[in-house]
Amino acid sequence: MENLILQLKNQIIEVLNLEDMTAEDIDAEAPLFGDGLGLDSIDALELIVLLEREYGIKLSNPAEGKQIFKSISSIAYFVSKNRKK
Amino acid sequence: MITLAHIRITPSETWLNGKVVSNSNINGIYREFIGDYPKFFKMDSLCKLGFIAAELILKGQTPELKENASIILFNRNGSLITDRNYQMTIADDHFFPSPALFVYTLANIVTGEIAIRHKIYGESSFYVLPHQDDEMINDVVNKAYLTSNPSFILTGWVDYDDDDNYVADIKLVTK
Repeated sequence: MENLILQLKNQIIEVLNLEDMTAEDIDAEAPLFGDGLGLDSIDALELIVLLEREYGIKLSNPAEGKQIFKSISSIAYFVSKNRKK
Repeated sequence: MITLAHIRITPSETWLNGKVVSNSNINGIYREFIGDYPKFFKMDSLCKLGFIAAELILKGQTPELKENASIILFNRNGSLITDRNYQMTIADDHFFPSPALFVYTLANIVTGEIAIRHKIYGESSFYVLPHQDDEMINDVVNKAYLTSNPSFILTGWVDYDDDDNYVADIKLVTK
């Protein structure tokens, strides 16, 4: 799980253009939206695309998103259970 | 029309009110003079260019004056550089479009980015012209005063062709 969390951090830094930020700067338990990284709705769409492109996961139920994208840890847990690649 | 301030940004030099203030590229100018707006890095090149020009030229303007200001910008290439980048993301049969790129496939988004940052609530518009036609630009800016009474207008040319060819030539003007 630690490797997956690190991989997700680096992928998120890349797709969201979080320049000047490294994986060490991101707390895996911190909220991604609002406080914490302060991501917005467009970033949420990028995360959905990231899960599909990198892990073959299609989010069929948008209502699940709030729980899945709560933190890097929650994304990692979801990916580990549902990844197709 | 009275010019309150003028900025010109090219890949090699940034001039503010007739003086060279930087020789950095766009990201370098952001780090030199701004540095407190992480959303900058998510913007496309045109928005970054317009954003840093607005940051430098609006320094010293009060929130009260900015609230009632207008933004009228012009260029030749529209959002072509981002349109191309976005097109590349959807060229493959199994494409994964990028929402973060897609939102910048309109040139007038730069006026929104500036308005959000500076809480400018006056009218804003963006025109695509065949070339930098100062007569046409002045005509459009003058007409803005027929329908509203902005405290000042942030106006000028902001055009991004590629990383070696871009220019922001922007003024703050008032009646």
